Order: sequence, then C-alpha cells, then structure tokens
Amino acid sequence: MTNISTIANPLRVPRDVYRRYAIFGVCAVIVLTVGKDIIIDETDWARMGTLQEMVKTALWFLPELSFFPKTVGPLLETLLIALWGTVLAVVVSMPIAYLAARNITPIKWITYPLGRGLIVLSRSTHEIIFALIFVSALGLGPLPGILALATRSLGFLAKTTAEAIENANPGPIEAIQATGANPLMVFCFGIMPQIFPIFVGNVIFQLDINIRRASILGLVGGGGIGLMFAEVMQNLQYGRAGTIVVGITAMVVVGEFISNRVRVRLI
Amino acid sequence: MKKNVTLAYDSYRQDEVRSGLWKFVGLLIFIAFAFWTIDVLKIPIERVLSMFGRLGTMVSERLLPPEMAYAAQPKVVDSIIETIEMSILGAVIGTFITMPLAWFAAWNVTPSRLFLYPLSRAIIVVTRGMPTLMWAMVLVAIFGFGPFAGMLALVKATIGFAGKLMAEQIEAIDMRRVEAIRATGANELDVLFYAVIPQVWANWVGIIIYNWDAQLRNSTILGFVGAGGMGLYLREQISIIEYQTAMSIIVVIIVIVVLSEMASQFLRHRLY
Amino acid sequence: MNRLVEPDSGTVVLDGVDITSLGKSSLRKARRNMGMIFQEFNLIDRLTVLENVLSGTLGVTSSLRGIFRAFQGDDIQRAIELCERVGIIDHIRKRADQLSGGQRQRVGIARALMQQPKILLVDEPTSSLDPKIGREVMDLLKSITKEAHIPMLVSVHDIFLAKNYSDRIVGLQGGEKIFDQPTASVEADAFDKIYHEAS
Repeated sequence: MTNISTIANPLRVPRDVYRRYAIFGVCAVIVLTVGKDIIIDETDWARMGTLQEMVKTALWFLPELSFFPKTVGPLLETLLIALWGTVLAVVVSMPIAYLAARNITPIKWITYPLGRGLIVLSRSTHEIIFALIFVSALGLGPLPGILALATRSLGFLAKTTAEAIENANPGPIEAIQATGANPLMVFCFGIMPQIFPIFVGNVIFQLDINIRRASILGLVGGGGIGLMFAEVMQNLQYGRAGTIVVGITAMVVVGEFISNRVRVRLI
Repeated sequence: MKKNVTLAYDSYRQDEVRSGLWKFVGLLIFIAFAFWTIDVLKIPIERVLSMFGRLGTMVSERLLPPEMAYAAQPKVVDSIIETIEMSILGAVIGTFITMPLAWFAAWNVTPSRLFLYPLSRAIIVVTRGMPTLMWAMVLVAIFGFGPFAGMLALVKATIGFAGKLMAEQIEAIDMRRVEAIRATGANELDVLFYAVIPQVWANWVGIIIYNWDAQLRNSTILGFVGAGGMGLYLREQISIIEYQTAMSIIVVIIVIVVLSEMASQFLRHRLY
Repeated sequence: MNRLVEPDSGTVVLDGVDITSLGKSSLRKARRNMGMIFQEFNLIDRLTVLENVLSGTLGVTSSLRGIFRAFQGDDIQRAIELCERVGIIDHIRKRADQLSGGQRQRVGIARALMQQPKILLVDEPTSSLDPKIGREVMDLLKSITKEAHIPMLVSVHDIFLAKNYSDRIVGLQGGEKIFDQPTASVEADAFDKIYHEAS
C-alpha cells in the first residue's frame, strides 16, 4: 500500500510555491512603496488638521432636509439629460457598430479600424473631458451635457453591438442573402432580430450609468444638478451638498432597481 | 380550404393595423416628449446646426495639435505617477474591504441574513450610486487637497464596483461543496475558506484586475476637483485657456487608459 | 451554386446566365431565381412563421416595406397559401423557435417557394431530422416541385433518399464527378465507388 506521505501535494510543488510567493512579494513591495509615497510624502498632514476637526467637517455634510425641494428641478434636469444623451448614443452607435463588426464592415482595412478607433476614443475619455469640449464650443447649458454623454456612451453600445453582430449565427444571414436581398434587408432580417435582446439590455444598462454621469456634468457647465452642487460646495454650504448627494444617490439606486427588473423581464 | 386562408389573412391584417396604430402613437409621444424637453431645458434648437460648424473649427484650430511638451515637464510627470500610485493604493485597500463585504452580501453564504446581508448590500448599492467625483469633492473638503482624498474616493468606487461583481460570483457557486464542509461541523469562517474561496478565487482575481483598470480611469480625472493626480493640471490649463496644453494631458489620459485596458484584457485572458 | 460559398474553379450557368461571373447587384438579382433550403433550416428565430415565409420576398420587396415589415397584400396572401400547402397553417403566428424540426423545414420550404424560383437548391434537407419526419419532408418536396414544375438540386449522402426521390443522380467524390445518370439506370455498385475506397 502506498504510503500517503510520499504522494506529493500538488499545492506544494516547489516551483509553483516560489512563483506564488514571488508574485505576492512583488505586489507587497509595490503597494508599500506606493503607500509610502501617497500617504506619507504627498499628503499634507499638517494642513489636514486634527481628527476632531475632520470629523466635525464630515458632520457638516449631514443632509439639510429643507433644501431638498430646491434640488428636485435640477435632478429632473439631470434625468432628462441622461435620457436624451442615451437616445442620441443609441442612434450614433448603430452605424459605428456596423463599421466595427468584422463580418459586415464594408471596406475591411479602412472602416474596421475606424469604427474600432472611435469606440476606443469614446470609452477612454471621461465624460467631463467631452463636456469641457462641448461647453467651450456651444456655451453652457444642458445641450453640451447631452452631447457629452452621448459621445461617452456610444463607445460601449457600439462595441457590444459589434461583438453581438460578430457572434451572430451566420445561418439565418445566409438564408436572407440567398433570397437576393440587399445588404440593408440582410441586416434587418438576418442580423437585427438576433442582436435585439442584447442591444436593448445594454441600452438600459447605459441609461442607468448615464444618470450617474449626468450628475457631474454640471460641474463644468453641462447642466443638471452638478452646477448646484459646485455652487453649494464653494459656498461651504455642506449640509446642502449632503442633500444633493443623497438625492442623486437615491435617484441612481431607484434607477438601477427599475433597470434590473426590466432587464430580467426581457430575458 | 380557401376560407382558412382568408381567415388567416384577415386576422393578420387586423393585427398589423392595430400594432401599426400603437407604434404610431408611440412615435407621437416620443416626438412630443422631445419637444417638451427642448422647451423645459431651454435648448437653443435654432442654433444647433451652426454650433456644429463652430465645434469643428474650434477643435481643429484651438485644441489641436496638442502641445505634448507640456506633459513632459517634471511636475506633470510626477502627477502622472501620483495618479497611478493613487489608483493602486485605492484599489488595493478597497479590495481588502470589499472581499469580506462581498461575503456578507452573498445571499447563499452570508453569515447573517438578517443583519449583515441587508447592511452590506445597502453599502454596496449606495457606494455604487454615488458619483465618485462628487464624493471626491466631499472628501477634499474633509481631508484637504491631495491624493489622500482621491485614494479614499477610489476605495469607495472599488467597494461599489467590485463589491457587486464579487458578491454575484459567490452567489453563483456550487452549494454542494458548501454543504459538504458545513456537514463536518465547521464554522462559517471555515466554510468561507474551504468551500467558497476556492471556487470564486479565479474569478475574483479577474475582477480585481478589472477593478484596477476602472479605478485608473477614475483616478486620471480626480485631480480635476483637487483630489490628486494629473487632473489638477487639466483644470489649471483650461482655466487659463491654454487648450493645447490641456489637450496634452487629455492625450496622456487616453494613452494610459488604453494601455491599462489592454493590460487588463491580457492578464484576464491569461488567467482563464 | 448561389455563391454563398465561392467556387474554386469552373462556372455555373442558370438559364443562360453565368452566375459565377456576376457582380454584386447582378448576383442578388440572380439569387431571386434560386430558392434555397438549408440543412439547419436557418429560420429567423424571433420572427413568426408567416414573417419567415414572407422574408423569401426580400429580394424584390422594397427596403422601406422591409424595415417596417409591411409586406404587400398579395405577398401575404400567397405566403399563407404556401403555409397551408406545406401543412403549417395552424402555426403561422407562432415564433419560429417554437416549432419542431420538421415544422421548421416546412417553413424553410415555403420561404424558398415564395421566391417563385426557377430552381430549388436543397442542402441536406433531412440530415437534422428524424428519419420518419425526413421522409415526410422529402415527400412534400417531391410533390410540390412536381406540381409547380420547379427543378430541384438536392445534395444528400443518404443513398435511399437519392434513389427514391430523384430523376437523375450525380455522384461526387472528392470534388470529382464520378457519374451522372438517370436514376433508373444507376447500377447498384455505382454508389460503392463513392462510399468505399478504391481497392
């Protein structure tokens, strides 16, 4: 009978053990160096004040309930900006998804990288940056905010739609092609019905995220509650700021709840 | 036989008309909503088309080409490093807090369904709902300018982001192993370490990497509100109308984000 | 034949038209005359049976009508009649993915016939079906094409089907034509040449 103690424990094979410890060691060193840099060197501990002062400041943020009614208007404005920004993103993302889908892009070596490039730009740039650009060109107001949101969201929508198109079952596509239908019809009947549920799910998902994004666009003049927030923060009216934070968080949470329900029912 | 066909035909046509009517009504409501929005938000719809022309010239003349030399200055490079460090620290600390929180927030193995479960779920949902930039502004008010506030903001973002994903992973595990360990009389902590973690660990590492990528994106912009990192210089340059130098920061941000996404994709694929 | 897969060499001529040399839009026009039936049925799952059959007209229906799925009355009438002919009229309002395999293939047949094609291209129509259902489908195909005088080009690997449902058999092996004869005159060992290695 085999002596159990002579069977090697696969978890204790020397090479793997060393590798794990090495990775862990490198990570620990990175974290400690970084920690030292940030916490010890960069942070101005002297100006931060004592713990007491910090707690006192924090307590100032407790929501000032009487202020709440004033926030409703801007919150609704934020909601509208999020809504229309998403609608615009949906419209613009469809042609981009068409370009970025390997199987249906028209001129593979031009339009495919173009589509994918636009997607990358859209997804890597923070909406604040887009808002800054649109505000400086179009002035303050909700319109640049809507445009900024749209530019930010179209990347995700185009990417997921393009991937859905690439993964679509080619059989039905071939069937429609076999009838002699033009490319638009092939898309409408062969591809679109396949990607529709995924697409709608993603739109709802983005709508949800966009409510959160829209709330900070006002910080740079893009309309919505961000402007009010910047004002009250500047005026040190921290209780009102707290009210706004609570208001926007509540709106986002409710939105997320609704969007989850709708998405579950869709599948 | 002919009657069968006619019946089917008529019923199909009827349905077509009815659904067409509904779609038309829907379209009308949509258009009405659009007009109402334009009115309520006071969108200057007449000027929209001319605006796009202005946008084009503005981008090509005032924003481009980006003055990359600005970003190469030592103070800016330092801030870039600070951005990355902030993201690492925020993500790491956030992850350590999130892991037990995710355990509490998983319906199937949470040690306390009555108390810890709803509490942890609420924490995750609320931290997700709060816009990170707003939270960063609050933290700056309390803790002062600098990367410390930014790091804490990233901790919150991590809890919201990774918390939900990690909890979902736990809820998707095979419960039989959990029951097997429970049957030996082990306490909940043992159940966690012997039945839960081995099953979710691979996915969790992926989530941790994905989260760090997301937090890096966040950290590039936190400086805009004074919470440390390169965003500070972005704001500074914009406020003095130096758009081309501001663009250099934006270019660096895009490069960082793209590299980090590629790295995160690569690492996550190597793990599966 | 309809260049869903491009041929490596040679030409395909239908009614005097060289299919292999056609440009994109001419190819689309040519495809209207070639109805196709697939091994995997290739229906549009989310659409109803009736809509699937109507999609056979997409080669000639205007794009505007197509986008809104507002097909012409005549086409709808004809589609329903075809559905009755293939035996699925009770299911025309159901989603295609709610049907059984045999029913789906019937829809595929109706769709191909909607094109009023000059020829039917049939790719392994029964490989995804139970043998009994497969025979029913082949019976249906045979009777419909005889009624409508539409020639059928069927690719199968089942000798029984080849012998019982065709007037002429072309045997292929490795891309080479081994024989091409009226069914009645094909000898028993002709199939051996195809299915067994030459010894």
